[in-house]
Amino acid sequence: MTKMKKMMKKFFITLKPSLIAIGFGLLIGLIVMLIFNPGDAFPALFTLLIGGFNGGLIGIGNMLYQAAPIILTGLAVAFAFKTGLFNIGASGQMMIGAYVAIYIGVKWELPGGIHWIVAMLIGTLAGGLWGLIPGLLKAISNVNEVISSIMMNYIAGHLLIFLIRTTIFNGSYSRSMNILPTAQLPMLTSIFPGSSANIGILIAIAVAIIIHIVIHKTTLGFQLRASGFSMDGSKYAGMNTKANIITAMSISGLLAGLAGALAYLVVGKTIGTAFEIFPQGFDGISVALLGLGEPMGALFAGLFLSNLRMGGFYMQTYGFVPQIIDMIISVIIYVTAISIALQAALKVYGDRLRAWFKNRKLKEEV
Amino acid sequence: MDILYQLVQNTYVSMTVLLIVALGGLLAERSGVTNIALEGIMIMGAFIGVWSIQGLEVYPYSGLTKFVIFVVSVSFSVVMSWGLSLFIKRLFKKDTYTLFKKNFSQKKVIFAICALAAFMLAILFFVWLVNTQIHVQFILVMGMMIGGLVGGLYAMIHAHASIYMKANQIISATALNLFAPAFAIFTARFLQGGQQIPFSSSFLIQEVPVLSQIPIIGQLFFTRVYLSFFIGLALLLIISIIIFKTKFGIRLRACGENPHAADSLGINIYKLRFVAVTLSGVFAGMGGVIFVVTTSTEFNVTVAGFGFLAIAVLIFGNWRPSRIILAAIFFGFMRTIASSYSIIPFLNDFGLPREFYNMIPYIATLVILAFFSKNSRAPKALGQIYDQGKR
Amino acid sequence: MKHITKVFGTLVANDDVSIAIKPGEIYALLGENGAGKSTLMSILFGLYKPEKGEIFIDGKSVEINNPNDANKIGIGMVHQHFKLVDTFTVLENIILGVEDVKHGILQYDNAVSKIKNLIETYQLNVDLDAYIKDITVGQQQRVEILKMLYRDSDILIFDEPTAVLTPQEIQELINIIKGFAKEGKTIILITHKLNEIKAVADTCMVLRRGKAIGTVKVSDVSVEKMAEMMVGREVLFTIEKEDITPGENIFKVENVSIEGRGKKVVKDVSFNVSKGEIVGIAGIDGNGQTELIHALTGLIPLHHGTVTLNGYDISRSNIRQKYEKGMSHIPEDRQKHGVIMDFDLQSNLILQNFYQPKYQKNKFLRFDAILDNANTLIEQFDIRSEGGAKTILRSMSGGNQQKAILGREMAREHDFLIAVQPTRGLDVGAIEYIHSQLLAERKRGKAILLVSLEIEEVMNLSDRILVMYEGEIVGELNPKEVSINDLGLYMSGAKRGVSHD
Repeated sequence: MTKMKKMMKKFFITLKPSLIAIGFGLLIGLIVMLIFNPGDAFPALFTLLIGGFNGGLIGIGNMLYQAAPIILTGLAVAFAFKTGLFNIGASGQMMIGAYVAIYIGVKWELPGGIHWIVAMLIGTLAGGLWGLIPGLLKAISNVNEVISSIMMNYIAGHLLIFLIRTTIFNGSYSRSMNILPTAQLPMLTSIFPGSSANIGILIAIAVAIIIHIVIHKTTLGFQLRASGFSMDGSKYAGMNTKANIITAMSISGLLAGLAGALAYLVVGKTIGTAFEIFPQGFDGISVALLGLGEPMGALFAGLFLSNLRMGGFYMQTYGFVPQIIDMIISVIIYVTAISIALQAALKVYGDRLRAWFKNRKLKEEV
Repeated sequence: MDILYQLVQNTYVSMTVLLIVALGGLLAERSGVTNIALEGIMIMGAFIGVWSIQGLEVYPYSGLTKFVIFVVSVSFSVVMSWGLSLFIKRLFKKDTYTLFKKNFSQKKVIFAICALAAFMLAILFFVWLVNTQIHVQFILVMGMMIGGLVGGLYAMIHAHASIYMKANQIISATALNLFAPAFAIFTARFLQGGQQIPFSSSFLIQEVPVLSQIPIIGQLFFTRVYLSFFIGLALLLIISIIIFKTKFGIRLRACGENPHAADSLGINIYKLRFVAVTLSGVFAGMGGVIFVVTTSTEFNVTVAGFGFLAIAVLIFGNWRPSRIILAAIFFGFMRTIASSYSIIPFLNDFGLPREFYNMIPYIATLVILAFFSKNSRAPKALGQIYDQGKR
Repeated sequence: MKHITKVFGTLVANDDVSIAIKPGEIYALLGENGAGKSTLMSILFGLYKPEKGEIFIDGKSVEINNPNDANKIGIGMVHQHFKLVDTFTVLENIILGVEDVKHGILQYDNAVSKIKNLIETYQLNVDLDAYIKDITVGQQQRVEILKMLYRDSDILIFDEPTAVLTPQEIQELINIIKGFAKEGKTIILITHKLNEIKAVADTCMVLRRGKAIGTVKVSDVSVEKMAEMMVGREVLFTIEKEDITPGENIFKVENVSIEGRGKKVVKDVSFNVSKGEIVGIAGIDGNGQTELIHALTGLIPLHHGTVTLNGYDISRSNIRQKYEKGMSHIPEDRQKHGVIMDFDLQSNLILQNFYQPKYQKNKFLRFDAILDNANTLIEQFDIRSEGGAKTILRSMSGGNQQKAILGREMAREHDFLIAVQPTRGLDVGAIEYIHSQLLAERKRGKAILLVSLEIEEVMNLSDRILVMYEGEIVGELNPKEVSINDLGLYMSGAKRGVSHD
């Protein structure tokens, strides 16, 4: 086999679990749609798969705009995952990042070129701080980071209402105030007119590449991966495991905080004052899993998921509630989780089928 | 004084939910399987459970409600018959272990008797229930049973993945947590337009006859309480006995501490863990129904993080029933303060923003966990995928 | 058992093995680690199902699908790694799986009286209400034996039973086994200890790499012959060790004490190691050696006492600093501490050094340097793997994993090496290699601290032997002058020498 072919084969083998999972998810979605509205099911599925392209350039532009935050939360979850930690708190970190970014966008007055950069960076830092807390708790007191980060999500949810209500409240709509135009991320309306596309997607792609390099090519990445595979081994090797945990959760928080900034540094985009935990955090989990825990995987998975969500939006014309997407996604995650056993089971059935066909062929020949 | 009683009664509401769900979580975790899907299972159970309650409130019953009653009758009868079969087996007790391996026809006879009994019971129940307007408390019980049934079935999905297909338990549970609310919203919107499911009965028991007259204790335990409070306490007792004093319990604990040891003694790890996780789903489903029914007037696709708080109760309770009840009381109280601070003159004067009070249970959880996680006595094999090949 | 074949993936653990045992016989299964003895017996005990082959008991074919079936036929097994639940009591562990129940509630009375009977009959003293985590290893083994007897087993399988016992306890066990045989019980002994086979067994079958090599009557063959059958070639029993005058003291341990589980597990230990010297710490597992080494190497904190290396006080240093000051460590649990199983070989070989300028520039890893290092060590230390430097460690054999650790620890700049159980679980070839490497280190003037549970290893390699019992050093012995029996007495606390410095 040529080297090219070998690489392609390896590529597909690693992708297989994700592809199988997506296949199952879509299948279940199709079945549900068939049950509730058989006539429109297939056209709806088609719309779903095309996703953003349904709406032409506007659709694609919006798809890219919405992809950026979930790529970043996906990176956040994947980064923590590489280190052996589950960051289920990406939502909370994103929320804090979003609030801080909006606050700076509303209250500070800075020249156009820098305002959005400052808001974005400080929002990112805020997310990092929010992620630092569960990291500290785990490193120092061995608190399970799954529970602590979930708690942080709820705390962020309530805290956000208080902060918005007292600092940047827009009474007429019960939401946060609009940010100043100087704080808005530069838009990409030249390429995608009429959509919300901004340079967020470009930033997301750049960050994905950076994270990939950090994890695989630096000494920090080496240490974090070692801790992720074996806490005991990395301790023996002289690595500072506590520092590693704290660093990993903080960086994870930074990424999620950036997600918040990228999503909300748009004029007209505001946060409401009803209790909410941003769903992008959970999408991040799906993205990370679909992307097989790799940064570059998260990039593509994020684009895929955003496209799917856009499809769900357009699918409403057929009378299907967009929650179908969430159901499909949860099935995809579930299947990813059982992928190893599933692959083995599929192989067994595949072998049996093949054997059965072979037998039939032999019988025919006789 | 009156305020104190009110606070206590309010505490019971949150406490009961946390207690029941945590007990379920205890079963699963003690067998070695983490179950953070409790939140999603609660939502699923609450969804179908509250919907059934809504259906049961309107007499004569709709077709769907009659189906629900049918399901309840059947499951109740099945459980009764299973109990009956155990009783009969004990009557023949000689060498109970080998008896059924060798004596096939005897087994068949008992099975036939029980199946017949189940069938007749089910029909009796169904006919009786369909034709009577059910008492309010019984509606609650039926709602809980439905919720429990649904919760158990839903949990089987997680159980199957983590136990038989060796999936990562956190991921599998996350999938369940994501699916449940989406499913609830989707189905509710499709079938009735909106995502809220209101119910009108008040299940609050104003006064338990006789017992509420006892000075102090009457006010503390038997006034303005829900039936679920007593059910929760009963379950606490039952689970404690099961875990520490029955064959099932000791084997369950063995699976969670050293599954290889249990396996070498012929205990079926997979089956035991599957049962434990399914049961945790039953409890969570019940807890979901109780949550909605005792804290609001409608199901609105949320259980306010109680599924996760229950896990914190479990950790705080060091995986022991005697401590779990204390932890549940503590967290219940925190939540009560959060929602009732306005009636406490002392706190009201502080003038702290209401969002702060909402945050209290979660912050309290973090603080408690920070102090308690160092010396936690989690089951040793918790969260590890059991692989028979590994020695 | 006839024509048993058992396959785990690509590994043929048992290849068409047939074995015939008579009742009342003490039958030994001899073979190196990985030869397939445990697998064969696990099949008999119902833990595994063979791909091919049948089992006959008393001439009748039987199917053993799980330990319960095995129990019903009367087969019991004491495993090499005890299958006990630490947080349960002795009583609970014995009855687990065969509990008495009344109205659903557990009943203990019948069990207690039956067990007490067994304890008296066979002199297997143990406290029924004690928790497993609190009793000694020897007592834990007795619990395992009681588990078998409680289930009325007539065929008793012992898997490497003497690995954790003192010479005296081994003798007691031999007597117990002989007692069982006299009663007509059949004993199957899995072991690689030739002397013990000679002492107690009637017949012995040798397995090598999954195949049955031959069955012999123990009284007819010599130990050397059995060893040759086991390994496939002549085995040297003695190690060539030169006399070397040790150099200066470079590693000093002074008054180290460690507390754990509410009591002192290491009490006021002091000793030192000189250049060109191998100091061996002998002792039964659980007498504080593990905690001592963990404290010396930094895996657990050291609060009382001082440790100096080359003049530097490293008592409170972190692990990286200890490495930098010249310590190397071959850990007891190689898969837990020694390597990152899911990393590749080349990464594992720079596990402690990755931050040094040789391997990174501006925090970016220098992959060429890492690969070069790996290739050099692979060559030098004969580390075999499927994919060379890029092999994932999990797919390598235990022996090669250990060689990788050995190579890494020896090649890195160091003056002092701690080697804990360096040959555990390895085959004879690997053992010989590691022993020769340790002696080479010694010749190069390194100071070596060897901790081992294998008495012969300690005797053969050490220049000085320190015996640890209950956290203290109870004797300093010269291996040339002390007998194994004497050593055993020290190890069991029956004898004490003068504390020295």
